[in-house]
Amino acid sequence: MKVDEGEIVAIVGPNGSGKSTLLKSILGFARLFQGKVFYYGKDITGIASDRAVSMGAGYVPQMNNIFPNLTISENLDMGAYHRKGRASVKAGMREIFEMFPELEVRKNALAENLSGGERQMLAIARAMMAQPKVLLLDEPLASLSPKPVSVILSKLEKIRETGTAIIIVEQSVKKALSVSSRGYVLVEGACAMEGEANSLFAEESSKQRYLGLEAKGY
Amino acid sequence: MTVNWAQILFNSVITGSIYLLGAVGLSVTYGLSGFPNFAHAEFITLGAFIGYFVAEQLGLGLPAALIVAFLVTGIVGFLCYRGVFQPLAKRGASIIHLMVASIALGFILRYSIGAAWSWHPLYFTTTWSAFDVGPLRVTGLWLWLIFVAVGLAFIMHLILTRTKIGKAIRATSSNPELALASGINIDRVIWITWFVGGGLAAIAGIFRGADTQIWPMTGWDIILPMFAVAILGGIGNFYGAIAAAFVIGLAENVGVVALIAVGLSTEYRMAIPFLILIITLIVKPQWLAMLFRRA
Repeated sequence: MKVDEGEIVAIVGPNGSGKSTLLKSILGFARLFQGKVFYYGKDITGIASDRAVSMGAGYVPQMNNIFPNLTISENLDMGAYHRKGRASVKAGMREIFEMFPELEVRKNALAENLSGGERQMLAIARAMMAQPKVLLLDEPLASLSPKPVSVILSKLEKIRETGTAIIIVEQSVKKALSVSSRGYVLVEGACAMEGEANSLFAEESSKQRYLGLEAKGY
Repeated sequence: MTVNWAQILFNSVITGSIYLLGAVGLSVTYGLSGFPNFAHAEFITLGAFIGYFVAEQLGLGLPAALIVAFLVTGIVGFLCYRGVFQPLAKRGASIIHLMVASIALGFILRYSIGAAWSWHPLYFTTTWSAFDVGPLRVTGLWLWLIFVAVGLAFIMHLILTRTKIGKAIRATSSNPELALASGINIDRVIWITWFVGGGLAAIAGIFRGADTQIWPMTGWDIILPMFAVAILGGIGNFYGAIAAAFVIGLAENVGVVALIAVGLSTEYRMAIPFLILIITLIVKPQWLAMLFRRA
């Protein structure tokens, strides 16, 4: 499994296939029993989570992905914890607000008062404040209505254009693959299939076999 | 019976100020470390004895006593966490294991303090000026206490809302895993919290000791109402703890009036915080914490 600079890669699969665990083990949140993690050719297997962030890995968990008792600005400040100097943090915040103008208008609001879509935007923006080279997103579209989903997907495209690689774990297979260049199908902790995003589920039988889906809108 | 309500209110602020200083550290370390630290009582006691040593035995006065006691007890608090609780937590100790370890550590500290100084009560010899302000009887010590408690609470507020480490403390308190995912060194955050919590407990100890007496049970005598404050304000909630300290202080002082009115001993005053706590937990748990979400 690999991801290149400026590329979005989707990891899909049925419930319980180990998608979230895979992300957590890359970042040192879960114990890795076998396999290795390489980052720009360097073995970082079992790295401490805070070191992974300082090396350039951004992570957005599926649940509890904001600090609810902090304002939007303070959440972004925390994302920039490793950045040196107040000027650098301010510059980072300006860039983030250009990308997420929805957040700037409410920058002094407590994060707990945001809608589902705004929370997800804040979670991604917080991770982006660390200037990650690779962004790992755990089901960023879960529980969102159609409009915020399309907003989030367009933000991911913009992030990709900056050169940041994105690994997206998602249940909404079609939506995840719509912005990805490649995809991996995870089944019971192992990679069952991989390929170009637009041809990954070209055969109806593969959808049924790996995702248990028959509907066209998988 | 004629009641001087202005004095009752003022006394409530004094009681609340002591609880504020003691309970803020207890609450925040509880929130970040995930267990109630009963040895916090001995941080209060140690602070009182160090304050006595600096102010009385070295004759350096109250301000020097406050600073030295804050620093020394803060370091002791940090060492207790780093040397005892953190290794236990890393080995998977449960909240019960950690709580029992804190009781054991408290015993060790208490008897060490008794052996080093004395089990006989000690008294500050400084005579504080007393004067009347309208219906109020006020002493210089009480004014110092209120000034220091309010001043430190304000400084803590500035640290928590304006500084990187303060925001990291609030972030770690609300979501430790996300704090880690943000690159925050949560061990360092917890160490700093234990240092500050120990230091604030020491300040509470000095004022409690100067107002009453100092002996190895000084901290234990007031730790239980402080737990009531921490729970009422919401575990780990700084602003909730401040509000709860004054609520409990008021309840205790009004309760004393009520106890006297019904002919009961004022010894029962220690039960009042828990009565308030039980009623609150039954009727509306964490209502104070909900009012102060920016903790």
